[in-house]
Amino acid sequence: MSFSDPMLYAYLLVILAGFLPTDVFRFAAVLFSRRIDEDSEVLILVRAVATALLAGVIARIVLFPTGDLAGVPLWIRLSSIAAGVAGYFLIKRSVLAGVIVAEIVIIGGAVYFR
Amino acid sequence: MSEPANTGATPPIEPPRVWFWRGVRAGVMSVQGLVLFAGFIGFGGLIRDIGFPLGAALLSTIFVWALPAQLLIVGGFAAGSPAPVIALAVGLSSVRFFPIVASIMPMIRGKSGLGTQLFASHFVAVSAWVESIRLVPALPVYARMPFFLGLSNYFLWGSVVTTVIGYLLAGTLPQALANGLVFLTPISFLLQLIRNSRDLVDWLALVLGLALTPVFAQFGGSFDLLWIGAIGGGAAYVIGRRLRARA
Repeated sequence: MSFSDPMLYAYLLVILAGFLPTDVFRFAAVLFSRRIDEDSEVLILVRAVATALLAGVIARIVLFPTGDLAGVPLWIRLSSIAAGVAGYFLIKRSVLAGVIVAEIVIIGGAVYFR
Repeated sequence: MSEPANTGATPPIEPPRVWFWRGVRAGVMSVQGLVLFAGFIGFGGLIRDIGFPLGAALLSTIFVWALPAQLLIVGGFAAGSPAPVIALAVGLSSVRFFPIVASIMPMIRGKSGLGTQLFASHFVAVSAWVESIRLVPALPVYARMPFFLGLSNYFLWGSVVTTVIGYLLAGTLPQALANGLVFLTPISFLLQLIRNSRDLVDWLALVLGLALTPVFAQFGGSFDLLWIGAIGGGAAYVIGRRLRARA
């Protein structure tokens, strides 16, 4: 039962680095919800930081995958993303449609090119 | 028809239980729910790929209930990032719940007490928010909280089940399909970020965040995500404001 045990560490991470820093904002939002203006300048900046950070998470999974996905060539991963975005815009701005198009490309690419 | 109040006849007050299950039914009918579950199937596949324990992942779906934050946790775990750095990154990504919760709570709270509102706020995530904003205004005020809890609980527990399904599938599927499952997470998130981008600042933040990743992955160390967020988001805000002021 040591902190360096990676499995125990994962559970601690979920509660201390996941639950607490997430729900603190949910709870704070409830307490302040009457005074909060969604268009305030600070929130626009904060939302931009969060969006860029999340984009970084996405790009890291695509560009530097950790697991088995690394065996799929980079150009297929990028083609899948491009096809998904194109599918989204061409098919009624449907997230589901874009996801399906991207999946066809990544799965097909993985079958033929890895 | 759309203004029953004008008829003078008050519709019968139905118990919260009835509205809870109507919320569940709205969730079952929701395309947004399908995309959400697909994302969690991908999450289940991703954690198996990374070697993150399933129990901790399920705990994260229940107690964190924010796929971006959950990705930061398992991604940080895989990269060996220090826990305080992960907590900071999670906090930064979860700041977005502040306006989301603050904007939905006045719509759904009705006459519920502070405790109920705090409890309900945990179930607010992007999917439940999108569907609630769309569906709740047509409901009587007293019905909104139970309806929201039904909808969002269906989303949350459905995501717990699909996390497990994704985890199990990742072990048995052909390699190409497993790759496809892992890929569901980045593509569904990217498309949802695109859909949520309303003004120039949002778009710039998205594009800069993507573009800065290969740069900071080289020399950003364990803080690379924070640099991407701070520099990409900060630049997006400044540039977006400048261009809007000029226009």
